[in-house]
Amino acid sequence: MKGFFSIAGLRRLRVMTWKELLQLLRDTALMVFFLYSFTGDIYVAASGVSMQLRNAALAVLDNDRSFASRELAGRFQPPYFKHAGEAASPDASLKLLDRGDAMAVLDIPPRFEERLTRGEQVPVQLQVDTTNSVLGFLASSYAAQIVGRYAGEVAMLREGLAGSGGPMIEAETRIWYNPNQYDPWFMGISELLTVVTLFSILLPAAAMVREKERGTIEQLMVTPLTPFQILFPKVIAMTLAIVAGTAIALFGVLGPVFDLPMRGSLPAFFLITALYVFTTAGLGLLAATVSRNLAQVGMLTIVILMPMLLLSGAWTPLEAMPPWMRLAAGFSPLHYYLDSAYGILLKGAGMDLLWDSVLAMGALGVTIFGVGMAWFNRQFG
Amino acid sequence: MNLKRIVALAWKEWREIVRDRLFFALAFIVPTMLMLIFGFGLTLDVENLPFAVVDHDRTPASRDYAYRFISSRYFDFKGYADDERTIDRLLADNQVRVALVIPPRFDERLSRGEPAPVQVIIDGTFPMRAQTTQGYVAAINAAVSAENMAQALSTARGVPLAEARARVQPVKLEVRYLYNQSIKSIWSMAPKLIMLIMMLSPPFLTALGVVREKESGSIFNIYSSTVSPGEFLLGKLAPYVLISAANWFILWMLCLSVYQVPFKGDPLFFTLASLIYVVCTTGFGLVISMLVQTQVAAMIITSVVTIIPAVLYSGLLLPLSSLSPGASLIAHSLPPMYYGRIVTDCFLKGAGAAELWPDALVLAGYAVGLFAIGYLLFSKRPKS
Repeated sequence: MKGFFSIAGLRRLRVMTWKELLQLLRDTALMVFFLYSFTGDIYVAASGVSMQLRNAALAVLDNDRSFASRELAGRFQPPYFKHAGEAASPDASLKLLDRGDAMAVLDIPPRFEERLTRGEQVPVQLQVDTTNSVLGFLASSYAAQIVGRYAGEVAMLREGLAGSGGPMIEAETRIWYNPNQYDPWFMGISELLTVVTLFSILLPAAAMVREKERGTIEQLMVTPLTPFQILFPKVIAMTLAIVAGTAIALFGVLGPVFDLPMRGSLPAFFLITALYVFTTAGLGLLAATVSRNLAQVGMLTIVILMPMLLLSGAWTPLEAMPPWMRLAAGFSPLHYYLDSAYGILLKGAGMDLLWDSVLAMGALGVTIFGVGMAWFNRQFG
Repeated sequence: MNLKRIVALAWKEWREIVRDRLFFALAFIVPTMLMLIFGFGLTLDVENLPFAVVDHDRTPASRDYAYRFISSRYFDFKGYADDERTIDRLLADNQVRVALVIPPRFDERLSRGEPAPVQVIIDGTFPMRAQTTQGYVAAINAAVSAENMAQALSTARGVPLAEARARVQPVKLEVRYLYNQSIKSIWSMAPKLIMLIMMLSPPFLTALGVVREKESGSIFNIYSSTVSPGEFLLGKLAPYVLISAANWFILWMLCLSVYQVPFKGDPLFFTLASLIYVVCTTGFGLVISMLVQTQVAAMIITSVVTIIPAVLYSGLLLPLSSLSPGASLIAHSLPPMYYGRIVTDCFLKGAGAAELWPDALVLAGYAVGLFAIGYLLFSKRPKS
């Protein structure tokens, strides 16, 4: 790292960074794609995609056809359920489920109303398609709430308890940070972080291997540049580009279109983003130093990228993962970046809460970059 | 079309792949590895939610009530907190996701037969998790309320407790889970992982393989040879289709053996549809490689156009019924959604050609279309 703090060292870094930026900007196909990823792609993901259960198609097999049965069936309302018509027979309802035309079938038994008025307990059946286990569970959970509320009202009337209330639990649920459960905030941020991660790994890895494949790395090695002065400017250039992309996404799409609150300090957010890109770029460079050609880098980066994207908590709740997997997630820089990004943008958290995430990310970044440099030195030193 | 030339080209390509040891190994290891990692790690279940309790009442009744949450496997009790201010901090720092606040006079109100308010605070940053959590909380509260009501009724009217229970709950919902009776999330996840991985790996292999020739310049040998564009594409892609088909078979076997997912459908139809899908995703790689000049661009564009649709618009994580019209259009215009349906229904619903032929047909149309585009874009006389 000799010469890093001298004037000549700084000038070399500046020149090399400029070279990397020029190289990046001149790849037109790539730049168009880069811009699309930070704008259009995020817009579509934020506006169009929801992980919540919406409009689950419910068919009704009404064997009673009374006022009470219609009342119960009528309570299955949007946003959670939408009616997919009546099923004429149990066979027909199974067929609806088989074909995927209905996700659930509510089966109301004959003499439903009559038995209710006589004070019996009447079972009502719900058949749920659980090929998607999460949706199946959510659908049955909502159905249980709807039926429970209906049953409660019937019981109140029947037992003459109406008015007095009774010793019930009245839960007031408050959802913080996103009170209306507005999906675009979550999906938009998750997608932004996904795009940032993709580019942070791929751009430097690709830039590095290209030099290796074309042999221009040998030219760089015979210059007075140290390995650090070759590697570091690549990271700086990519970091600048990606932070700029993030700013475009935040102020061009998420802010104006979806009213993302951005409660915390934005300078802190951009600093953490830069730190994250640096850390992740180190991973890409490591993959590039290990492999000989771009095809190898391509496969290696998938191996790093996919688990990182899907298992750090960007799209799935981490709490349910097996303990060893959660331990592994602790080594993913994205895990800490997620905590910080949601913390700053939605929760308004400050450095007093985020310092541990930032520290962990920085430690990972320095380690990864150090290992990458050591490899590089061994190959070319 | 000259079969001999095609075979020669395929053989050349195969040798090239095999000789790059790391690439060859990765081509086979990556899909299996992803299958194992995601199979064990990728779960949408909401469990072990860290939560805290603020108990202002501090009576046996309030502790009993809090214990209902503490003993649930969905919640992971982190301890009692002193006041709401502490909860603020714990939630902002991701230490807890849910907090239960029991106000003073909880016990007093209940024993007087009045409703007792409680407050539940949920971290809403992840709407799906918050929604599921709300479901758990509502279920526990409903159970406690029903029990309290039954007890009150039983003492007031002098009826046995069992009868009182039936009377406060006149309608009982019985849920039957179809196709996946014990709601194992791996059963719904593993088949879709085949879809995800087969969407990622073949385009990557193909795009990199074709662009490699462009960038190194060896494509000029092809341009100046007697090989026709059609022969070149068939010969070039055959090894990649073969590798991907082998990978698909390995993934299928992993689903059956490691994850014990039942396969109820028609294996013949499934094989046929899967081969079409593999050809289709290979075609994706082909078209991308025709459009770009550098391997860097090929790699980055491939990852963005395959990873994002396969994760977001395929039904893997997000329910297709919840997509907005725009996103639904994207989902319908890309192959993963169709194959996702084929793979899930073949495994769990026991469906076959009779139900799924439209999806297979769309995939086939897609494959033909992609190869036609690739053929048209490939010119032996490049402009520059």
